[in-house]
Amino acid sequence: MNAHSTVNAAPPMVVDGVSKSYGSIEVLRGLTLRVDPGEILCIVGPSGVGKTTLLRCLSGLMPPTSGEVRVADQVVTEPLQEIGLVFQDYRGSLMPWMTTLENVLLPLRGKRMNLSDARERSLSCLANVGLAGHEEKYPWELSGGMQQRVAIARALAYDAHILLMDEPFGSLDAQTRFDLEDLVLDLRRRLGISVIVVTHDIDEAVYLADRVVVLSGKPATVIDTVAVDLGPVRDQVASKGLAEFSRLRGRILNEIRRKK
Amino acid sequence: MARRIGKHWWIYEIVQFATYFWLPVVLVALWWFISSDSQSFFMPPLSEIVQTLLNDIGNGELLEAAAFSMRNVGTGLSAAIVLGVSFGLLIGYNSVLRSAVWPLIAFLRAIPGVAIIPIVLVAFGVGPGPQIFVIALGCVWPILLNTIDGVRGIQSSITDTARAYRLPRALFIRQVLLPAATPQIMAGIRISLAVSLTIMVVSEFSAGNQGLGVYISSGVQSFAPSQVWAGTVFIGLIGYLTNVAFVLIERRILAWYFEIPRRTATKITSIAGAENERA
Repeated sequence: MNAHSTVNAAPPMVVDGVSKSYGSIEVLRGLTLRVDPGEILCIVGPSGVGKTTLLRCLSGLMPPTSGEVRVADQVVTEPLQEIGLVFQDYRGSLMPWMTTLENVLLPLRGKRMNLSDARERSLSCLANVGLAGHEEKYPWELSGGMQQRVAIARALAYDAHILLMDEPFGSLDAQTRFDLEDLVLDLRRRLGISVIVVTHDIDEAVYLADRVVVLSGKPATVIDTVAVDLGPVRDQVASKGLAEFSRLRGRILNEIRRKK
Repeated sequence: MARRIGKHWWIYEIVQFATYFWLPVVLVALWWFISSDSQSFFMPPLSEIVQTLLNDIGNGELLEAAAFSMRNVGTGLSAAIVLGVSFGLLIGYNSVLRSAVWPLIAFLRAIPGVAIIPIVLVAFGVGPGPQIFVIALGCVWPILLNTIDGVRGIQSSITDTARAYRLPRALFIRQVLLPAATPQIMAGIRISLAVSLTIMVVSEFSAGNQGLGVYISSGVQSFAPSQVWAGTVFIGLIGYLTNVAFVLIERRILAWYFEIPRRTATKITSIAGAENERA
């Protein structure tokens, strides 16, 4: 599936007929999809379609009403070691009383990892996301983009092979968003991790993804899966200027509109 | 807070200092001059009060009384902090326990701290032990309730993060729950600090043989109004200084909460103004 070199072999993730209801309100119906090792999968859909609900089911924070999520052969019933979560609300997901380094270290302390190994690993993950030299700063001393980088470093240090990202760059300015999108592409290329990004931004989805899953309707169903054949290396200007890029973006936008 | 802009920042500092302290200075000066030829038995001149104050500090009487009282306050308050924070974390975290004990807490907290003094003194007699007990009992409620609120007010994104990264319970409580609740806990301790001084004085008034409250009430019994005034002023000073010390400690512990960059000099004016800086 992926021609580029993989450092970690990410396990495949399979979503098998997942439905979710809150009381009598059905939000997701019979979603089936898979995430191949080393793949970037983007899930797009209009606001309120249930993207975050899906992501909570995928991460094990919330059980689906029916169907199941599997990572390798393991059914996800609680958060797994293999999955690293990056939230939209970066301000709320980093501990403000901990420095950058302590934030990245915290999950490793939970794993009872040897502290000096954990430190070394955290430092190298921070360097991996371009934050070398910011280890002793507090989250509120960092810009939004840098805080989100810390959240990504934390997921990497945790040794997550699958990154689950919920609207990760939604509240960042355009330039910062581009930088972080390129960081995600770069990390996948270098580390071979799988990435699932939930977003309402169709441009972002097409730019990042190997495949885009389009969700729509009430309850939400998968209305299309679009393969994006732009290669593993992309460029904010060149890739977005391609005819293929605008064709895919037009196709997805039409599907979401039609269904509404 | 003063920003060190330009090379004349010190002028700004002096202005700041004057802004904070002009009123107390003016009031004390007025008191001094207005009372200077007072003939009233109950309102001695301030100079006489200061004389008594310095005298009793010099001969050790006031300091001994203060040491006794403040030791009780310190012990009682510390016990209240330990108990209030531990049970607060437990009750805030465990919703079953919370609904089980809430009615009891709601009733007990409604009893004013000073109202239990007679019962305790009747039951346990006079001495440091019972006094520490009433102080701790009165101080535990603000801390307990604030800790519970602090734990319950924790953002769901924080608890989600802790779950997603599978933090073990002990690590979660120590490294996440406790720090997240600390701003509220400190607010509770600040209330209890005032409560502890009140209970200390009142309990020594009602029954005691040592301490600042006894120093004052013996002044009443021996018709020595300047001693009563001196004791009151001294307690006021102690109250002010403990509050300043509290603010200093709070700013250190909660530097992340107030978003104070490290190595910022803590100036007197910024301590006096710290109350207004809470986010």
